[in-house]
Amino acid sequence: MNTDIDYVNKHAEAFKEQLKELLAIPSVSTTPEHQADVERAAAWLAADMGRIGFETVEVIQTHYHPIVYAEWMGAGENAPTVLVYCHYDVQPAEIADGWHTDPFVPTEKDGKIFARGAIDSKSNVMAQLKAAETLLATANCPVNIKLMFEGDEESASEAMTEFVTNNRERLKADVVVICDGSMSDREQPDIAYGLRGVVSMEVEVWGPQQDLHSGHYGGTVHNPIQALAEIITQLHNPDGSVSVPGFYDDVLPLDEEERAELEKALPWIETEWKTVANAPKQWGEAQYNLHERIGARPTLEINGIRGGFAAEGFKTVLPQKALAKISCRLVANQKSVPIYEKLRDYVAQITPPTVRSETRLLSTGEPAIIDRHSPAMQAAIRAIERSWDKRPFFVREGGSIPVIVDIQRELGAPMVLLSFGYKGCAAHGPNEHVYLDMWYRGIQTMIYFYDEIAKGHSA
Amino acid sequence: MTNPHEYVDEHFNRFMEQLYDLLRIPSISTSPERAGDVQRAAAWLVEDMKRIGLQNVEALDTGGHPVVFGEWLGAGEDAPTILIYGHYDVQPAVIEDGWNSDPFEPVEHGGRIYARGSSDDKGQVVVHLKATEALLANGGKSPVNLKFLIEGEEESGSIHLGDFVSANVERLKADVCVISDSGMPTEDQPSIVYALRGMIGIELDVYGPANDMHSGSYGGAVHNPLQALAEIIARLHTPDGRVAVPGFYDDVLPLSETERDELSKTAWTEDGWRQVTGAPQSWGEPGFAIHERTGARPTLEINGMAGGFFETGLKAVLPAKAWAKISCRLVANQDPETIGELVKDYILDITPATVRSEVRLMGGSGAAFVDIQTPAMQAAIAAYERGWGNRPIFMREGGSIPVVADFQEELDLPVILMGFTLNNDGAHGPNEHFSVEMFRKGIHTTLYFYEEIARREPT
Repeated sequence: MNTDIDYVNKHAEAFKEQLKELLAIPSVSTTPEHQADVERAAAWLAADMGRIGFETVEVIQTHYHPIVYAEWMGAGENAPTVLVYCHYDVQPAEIADGWHTDPFVPTEKDGKIFARGAIDSKSNVMAQLKAAETLLATANCPVNIKLMFEGDEESASEAMTEFVTNNRERLKADVVVICDGSMSDREQPDIAYGLRGVVSMEVEVWGPQQDLHSGHYGGTVHNPIQALAEIITQLHNPDGSVSVPGFYDDVLPLDEEERAELEKALPWIETEWKTVANAPKQWGEAQYNLHERIGARPTLEINGIRGGFAAEGFKTVLPQKALAKISCRLVANQKSVPIYEKLRDYVAQITPPTVRSETRLLSTGEPAIIDRHSPAMQAAIRAIERSWDKRPFFVREGGSIPVIVDIQRELGAPMVLLSFGYKGCAAHGPNEHVYLDMWYRGIQTMIYFYDEIAKGHSA
Repeated sequence: MTNPHEYVDEHFNRFMEQLYDLLRIPSISTSPERAGDVQRAAAWLVEDMKRIGLQNVEALDTGGHPVVFGEWLGAGEDAPTILIYGHYDVQPAVIEDGWNSDPFEPVEHGGRIYARGSSDDKGQVVVHLKATEALLANGGKSPVNLKFLIEGEEESGSIHLGDFVSANVERLKADVCVISDSGMPTEDQPSIVYALRGMIGIELDVYGPANDMHSGSYGGAVHNPLQALAEIIARLHTPDGRVAVPGFYDDVLPLSETERDELSKTAWTEDGWRQVTGAPQSWGEPGFAIHERTGARPTLEINGMAGGFFETGLKAVLPAKAWAKISCRLVANQDPETIGELVKDYILDITPATVRSEVRLMGGSGAAFVDIQTPAMQAAIAAYERGWGNRPIFMREGGSIPVVADFQEELDLPVILMGFTLNNDGAHGPNEHFSVEMFRKGIHTTLYFYEEIARREPT
């Protein structure tokens, strides 16, 4: 084991430079113009996998963006097999969003690297690759490894679902590691076991047949922006809960044991909220604490609104239409499509007769919950204890990793969700970054995890 | 010397060509990047004014876009002097707004000229220029002295014009001011506008978290600024359509019964209104008819709202900021500053503690109200009767021409609003147009007006 850690330390610089190379590729999966960049990132990963010593390396084309897949089965039939999932695509980013540096020119500063994808999730991808490289280079790898990196996570993972469904035999494993997400604290590691699903939609409200002069018609036309604002206002109750009828019907209630477990991480989550969100005041469902609001309760969020003239200057227009992008984060056991339908029906019901509205479904992803008591989870706890000298907390993660649900359903293997970065690193926002010390610890954690899995398997 | 009316008919095609030339210049005063085009439009006017025989023609500095001035004082000291006001700047327009053709490449179709500015207000500026040209051609004389003041900032609130007028009282001295920047209900029914709404622009920014956040990681625990902004906007009106800002209606000059009777001649039917606007159902302040809501009552309109991600595709963002552009149309006796402050105070008052609002008051202008009994107004009535064969009706106009109040206060001039366009000509919206026939009739009517007023003044 020491030789492995020595290898990591010796190659720390080289690993970091490789991470930067991958971060420099703008593999944005949500907009078609970056198609070639996503391909380029896939090719880069495949090349690195081949160099490391994976026996099978494939860039699998899909209807969307490619999946990069690699296998190393050299530990033999009696050794356990670990399937690792990660994603190499990223969210859109432009310097104009408020970045201090070009989001696709990785910039190292104060032990951090700033770049789109730094935390979500290229550092995770590279931690996996570099842990595998270390074990193969030192000829110490105690498990068989299957790596599966997707390029569509930020745009709903549709290709991944199909791939998992059609490749159950090939993906067979004793343990599945989902490597995505982040920890709530820089010093206190945690393991997420609950993930929210997400269903997204857009609501369009339109009134007049074209933009009108606000002087000539103002006061007689129900302004679509105003009508949309009135509709949006009615989606929450004054106490912060979602007012869509039936929205909470299928939510799996929290029991006292789980609430107590979640409460352990609350101080960290509160500190992190203060550090990262730092809004004037906390907000949300009154009878739940911050950890529960973020992880164990569903939400309805307005992701974007556009209507009328909103650029520099003024245009005294009474706009024809207004559009909102809305997404709901879902928790076990909510289902995305019924939630969309409830919202759609409610919006139709509260739309005043002075305007028209339409609600369109954009994407779906189901919530997931992972068994906290499985042997694989115990191995993960020990691996983190060895790399961090601290026992991890359990957390419910607010974000979504849509593919977890598919993998649980199709492969059925015990699952662990591991992440190596800090949540306050601006995933999806400007100046996204990763802490290099946490990233190196992540590489170590994976090396220990494989060791713990192998030990548990032979025991 | 030719008869000016014959001259108009002989040269009408060239007048059209010249109007097209002016319409091709995208002189959008609200967009800083169009400053060069605004200058170009001013230069075009200077050249044409010189060519037709005006004197002291100059593009005068205002601190913003220039005022184009020119005069002809050959009618002598005993003849009345008419100050003609118009504006050569236009509202923004791009073909994607729903135009059937390039907004800055005029096309004639079905007897209408389609282009941004065709009716508001370049077409009407050219009406006056060409009437003057017809009078002065071939050594001709005008029965009245003429002064042209054509400004370049009307669409951005005439912010520098008030100061310009104050600083040029002597230069602008006249007996009557004529403004052609309004419309009539139908092509056959001329009208004279005797009241205009004022305006105050308000920018509202709502700030929440320190940065754009991942809507999964923080959603449910941060008051989304888009939602908060929607909630604020929804509270600016009562459910029945009144403006909810305390004190908003306090200073409004009430409508008398006689005035309501006169105005009811131009009443909208619900069907007619629906046809023109395309909205499903009329909306607005209870207790007032549609035509009263647009002309005689103040409004609060959301001109634009934006925040978050609103392009194609998805971005699961919880935005740091959302913003709205708001304007209030004001009626006689309301003070723009006072109303702006009332709205500002109310917004700050209803902003929840979970977000922070910033309110900025933009340029404002008072409403205008003109006496119907003046000789100049009577001359205008006679001119329309001759030009259109129809007695004009009196109307209140919903739009704003900020300078009317300045002319009344600073220059103590009766202001006659002689509009030659249609109310539903798409001003400020896509496919703005100007009837070719009304362009021609407008020039003739202007000539009649000069004759009529020369005959009546002084009284």
